[in-house]
Amino acid sequence: MQYLREVLSAKELLANLTLREVKGKYKRTIFGQLWSLANPLAQMLIYTFIFSVIFTQTAPTGSPSGLKSYALFLLCALLPWLFFAGVVNAGTSSLVSNTGLIQKVYFPRIVLPLSQVGAVGFNWLFEMAVLAIALSLFGNFVLPWIPMVLLVMIILAVFAAGVGLLLSVANVYFRDTEHLLSIVLQIWMYLTPIIYKVEFVQNKSDQLGGLLGTPVTLIDLYRLNPMEHFVEVFRALLYDNRFPDWGDLITCVVWAVVAFVAGFVLFARKEKGLAEAL
Amino acid sequence: MTTAAVRVNDVSKKFRLYHERNQTLKSAIMRGRTSVHDDFWALNDIDFEVPQGSTFGLIGSNGSGKSTLLKCLAKIYWPDKGTITYNGKMAALLEVGSGFHHELSGRENIYLNGSILGMSKKEIDRKYDEIVAFSGVEQFIDQPVKNYSSGMYVRLGFSIAIHVEPDILVVDEVLAVGDAEFQEKCFGKFREFKRDGRTVILVSHAMPTVTAMCDQAAWINKGKLMTVGPVLDAVAAYTGSLDLES
Repeated sequence: MQYLREVLSAKELLANLTLREVKGKYKRTIFGQLWSLANPLAQMLIYTFIFSVIFTQTAPTGSPSGLKSYALFLLCALLPWLFFAGVVNAGTSSLVSNTGLIQKVYFPRIVLPLSQVGAVGFNWLFEMAVLAIALSLFGNFVLPWIPMVLLVMIILAVFAAGVGLLLSVANVYFRDTEHLLSIVLQIWMYLTPIIYKVEFVQNKSDQLGGLLGTPVTLIDLYRLNPMEHFVEVFRALLYDNRFPDWGDLITCVVWAVVAFVAGFVLFARKEKGLAEAL
Repeated sequence: MTTAAVRVNDVSKKFRLYHERNQTLKSAIMRGRTSVHDDFWALNDIDFEVPQGSTFGLIGSNGSGKSTLLKCLAKIYWPDKGTITYNGKMAALLEVGSGFHHELSGRENIYLNGSILGMSKKEIDRKYDEIVAFSGVEQFIDQPVKNYSSGMYVRLGFSIAIHVEPDILVVDEVLAVGDAEFQEKCFGKFREFKRDGRTVILVSHAMPTVTAMCDQAAWINKGKLMTVGPVLDAVAAYTGSLDLES
């Protein structure tokens, strides 16, 4: 409890550290904040080229929105994913890369991984705003769903923060974490329905039936991935313009709470030893 | 009888001396353990009080454990045994300019560093002019700090830290920064601290500095507290032991 109060009192420091990341990131670049769009746009072009041009796949139709664009279908899921991956990546190395600070000044160390959520989140907000404009230009009625989208963005941020907290501590004790992470994130991305629609997995699962004679199907395993639920929720809101499945929504909240509580508790327990362990 | 600003209660601190340390998952799994180590007690049952309003010196040879004690006082390390209690707000000055972002301007770094050291935005706003004036880098305050000379860099860092104005200030040997003029300014600031009834805890190798500035001192040798008391006694005991050795 006392720890919680101390963390809350450091919110100004958290804001300042976030600002340091945001301001420092695109300093001395000509395009500045526009660089934040470069990565998702490049990926969008690559995947759209591969799937729409080479494999000539038809884009799924949003229902009830009626939108039919692979590029937008992709971006609705890719932007949340890139945010998540960005926070987890930056959060994981946040303690190790601030060794000098941790060994010289006392402050609640939890602000270091948390400030990464703010910094990456700031760029994400910008990217999502651009996406919302693009969707509107293509005839989607996004505006009424924006409060709901913002809410789910916060839930995803809490989830990402929890995972980041867990891994930041793990990385102090095992430096392999950050190297392993880049591979895990790559696999994780393809296990999440970002570049394809979840129906593909559903169809395959229906063909296969219960695995190894059990009633467990492929889709059951597939759905253990929390990011699958987040992506479905974002797509329902942005691409389809409908209220997401309650099951998905509740799963997202549960994962977010579990990850954050686990990360916070671990961090609170390990914080005192960090200066020595680094 | 004055009250204690800092009370150090039987503090012990243990470090692990690793013979084998498996910081990678592979080696941890292969060897079935994360480390093989001996315990090394860097501090043993250190127990003393720092009176309120005093300037307190910590002296001792290299490797005596005084830096470990300082880090415990600064809340960077946590004692394995014993407790340290503070009567008031504590700030530590172990390194100047830690947390500066090189691409950001001096002004932005004042706000950033100030909040790392525990100042609120309002406090920094109020002290901003004073901080800039004290550091003497007014002309360059809107330049990125990476363009600062090393002297300007430490002066700005020191100036921010000194303006935290804690009840208890813990200082490492950072006094040796800047030119003679700036050092004189720093000493002046410490005297002002003393006049205001604040407590300063100082670690130094320079005995003249210690005798000139402190009124109380503790001599630590090999993790044990040897003498604590008026500065001249403690310094005499320490230098006496050195003469004896040589």
